[in-house]
Amino acid sequence: MSKTTAVSKVDLTKIMPYGDTMNDGQVQMSFTLPVPDGDEAWEAARQLARKMGLDEPNVVYHRDLGIGYTYMIVYGKCTHSVDYTKIHVTKVESNVMDRMECIKYMEDHFNRPVVVVGASTGTDAHTVGIDAIMNMKGFHGHFGLERYTGMTAINMGSQVPNEELIAKAIELKADAILVSQTVTQKDVHITNLTNMVELCEAEGIRDKILLLCGGPRISHELAQELGFDAGFGPETYADHVASYILQELVERKRV
Amino acid sequence: MAFVGELAEKYNTVSIVGMAKNSGKTTALNYLLEEAYDEGLLCAVTSTGRDGETTDLVTTTEKPKVYLFSDSIVSVPEQLYELAETGLEILRRTQYRTALGNVLICRVAESGYVQIAGPGSIREHKRLCDDMRSYGCDIVFIDGAIDRKSIAAPESSDAIILATGAVISRSLKVVVEETVHIVNLYRTPVLEDEEARSIFEKEDKGVYRILAMDDEYRVKDPGVRTALGAGSTLDSIIDEHTRYLYIPGAFTESIVGGINPKKLRNITLVLPDPTRIFIGATRWQQLLKRGMKLRVMENIEVAAVTVNPYAPAGYHFDHEQLRSAVADALGDVPVFDVRAGGLE
Repeated sequence: MSKTTAVSKVDLTKIMPYGDTMNDGQVQMSFTLPVPDGDEAWEAARQLARKMGLDEPNVVYHRDLGIGYTYMIVYGKCTHSVDYTKIHVTKVESNVMDRMECIKYMEDHFNRPVVVVGASTGTDAHTVGIDAIMNMKGFHGHFGLERYTGMTAINMGSQVPNEELIAKAIELKADAILVSQTVTQKDVHITNLTNMVELCEAEGIRDKILLLCGGPRISHELAQELGFDAGFGPETYADHVASYILQELVERKRV
Repeated sequence: MAFVGELAEKYNTVSIVGMAKNSGKTTALNYLLEEAYDEGLLCAVTSTGRDGETTDLVTTTEKPKVYLFSDSIVSVPEQLYELAETGLEILRRTQYRTALGNVLICRVAESGYVQIAGPGSIREHKRLCDDMRSYGCDIVFIDGAIDRKSIAAPESSDAIILATGAVISRSLKVVVEETVHIVNLYRTPVLEDEEARSIFEKEDKGVYRILAMDDEYRVKDPGVRTALGAGSTLDSIIDEHTRYLYIPGAFTESIVGGINPKKLRNITLVLPDPTRIFIGATRWQQLLKRGMKLRVMENIEVAAVTVNPYAPAGYHFDHEQLRSAVADALGDVPVFDVRAGGLE
C-alpha cells in the first residue's frame, strides 16, 4: 500500500516534489554509469537511487553509449522534505531598474560617466557570462552595459589575469570591477576570486571601488563570504548589475 | 597562564588567518573563546567573510559554528541578525556596508551560536575594531575568510594566528614548505635605515606613489599609478645611484619579472608590509638566491601557528607528526594542533 495519501493542500513546512498528486515525491533523473548496458547496470542504478533517498526506483530508459557506458533515466519517490517557511535567501538589495530608467538615474545623479571594467579572469576561457552583461547586444532581450548612455563599459575578454584587470581599473579610475567565472575546475574560481580581493587590498583600492562577481555558481551570499560587494548568479542581467552599481555609488556618495 | 591570557596581555587585536579554506580557523577561534571565558576575559569577534553558518557555501560540507559567551561583543550584518540563535542586544548600527546589509555592533545577551560577518575592506575593519573595543573588551579577534591573508596586515591587527593544515596538500612536505614560506614572508626584516624610513613615511600620504631613492636620499616619482604590469617602467628608473625602490602596493611576478636581475641585486625593495607579496614559495626562494633584497616598513607578528591534520577530501596526517614537522621548521613560533587537546 502506498504511504502517500492524496491531499490537495500544500503543507509549506514539508514540501516534496510533485508528480501527479501532492506529496508523491516523484523525481526523474538521468545519469551515466561506466558499465555496459544490462541487468547489472540497471540494478546498480536502482541501488544508487536508493542511496540518494529515492523509494521504489525504476529504470524507465536505458541506452548503451558504446565502449561500456550506459545512459539511464530513473524514476523514484523522494523520501525527504524541506521546510519552505524556514528558507532565507539573501539577495542583492536594490531596486531593479531597466536600461532606460538607469540612463535617467545617471542623468539625475551623476555629472560624469560611470566607469565599469569587466573580464572573465584566471583560467576561465568562457566569455559568455561577461559578454551577456557587458556587450552591446546583451542577452535574452536585455541589452548590455555598453549600450547604457552615461556609462563607460570596458570588457577585457577572457583569461585576463587579476593583475591586468586591476591595472586597467586603476588606469581608468573605474567605479566598479566585474569578474566573471563561468566554468572552472575544482573550485579554482574560489581562490581566483579571493586573490582578486587580496590584490585590491594590497593596491589600496578595495574601499574605493565596487567589486562584483558573477557566474552560474556565484550567489550573493558567496560573494559576501569571499569579500566582494555583490554577487550575481543565474537569471540576472545587465539591468540588475547596473541598478546595483548606480544605487550603491549614490549611497556611498561617489557621484 | 593560558595562551589566550598571554595574547590579551600583549595585543589588542588578533587576526586568525587561514592558509587555505578548511584549515581550521573557526576551530581555533572557538578554542580561544572558550579559554578566554575560563580566564574571565571579555572578547569581541568580527569576521572578514561570514562565519558560523552551518554548511559551507563552497563545498556544502558541515562547518563548525561560532559559540559566543554572554557579554561578548560581535559584528553582525542586518540580514544575519534575525538568524542568530541567541539573543543579541544592538549597541550601534554602523555605516559599514556589506552584501548582507549594514554592520551592527551587538552584545551577546545569552551564550549561543551566532553568524558573524564584518565589512569587506580592511580599512573599515580597522575602524570597526576600534569601535568594538570602545565597548570594553580585553581582546578583539578577527576571523579571516577562506584564504584571505590581507587581514594579517599590521594596519588591522597587532598579531596573527596562522591556521594551516592537511587541506593544502596530500604531501606533508608541501604543507610544511608552504607554511614556512608564509611565516618567513611575515617575518621579513623591517627597513632599518631611519632616514629612508622617515622620508617614505612622510611621502606616503595614502596616495599611491612609487618612489625611487638614491644614495643621497633624493626621491624620484616615476608617476605610474600602479606597479602592476609596470615592471619595465620601474626598471627604466633604476640607475647605478638608486638605493631603494618603494612600492606602496601589491608585489607580483609581473613587477619583479620586468626588472633586470642585475639592477635588482643592487637595490633594496621596500614594501609597506608583507601582505603585499604575491609570489609563491619556489619563485621566492629563487629570487632571494639571485640576490633580491626586500624590506618592509612594518612586519607581522605571528603569535602562533595552528595545524589541522584533517582535510575535507578525506585524507589526514598523524597529529603529532604534522605538528612537530611544522614546529621544527619554524623554530620559535608556538604550534598547536586544533583537533587534539586544543592550544595548551
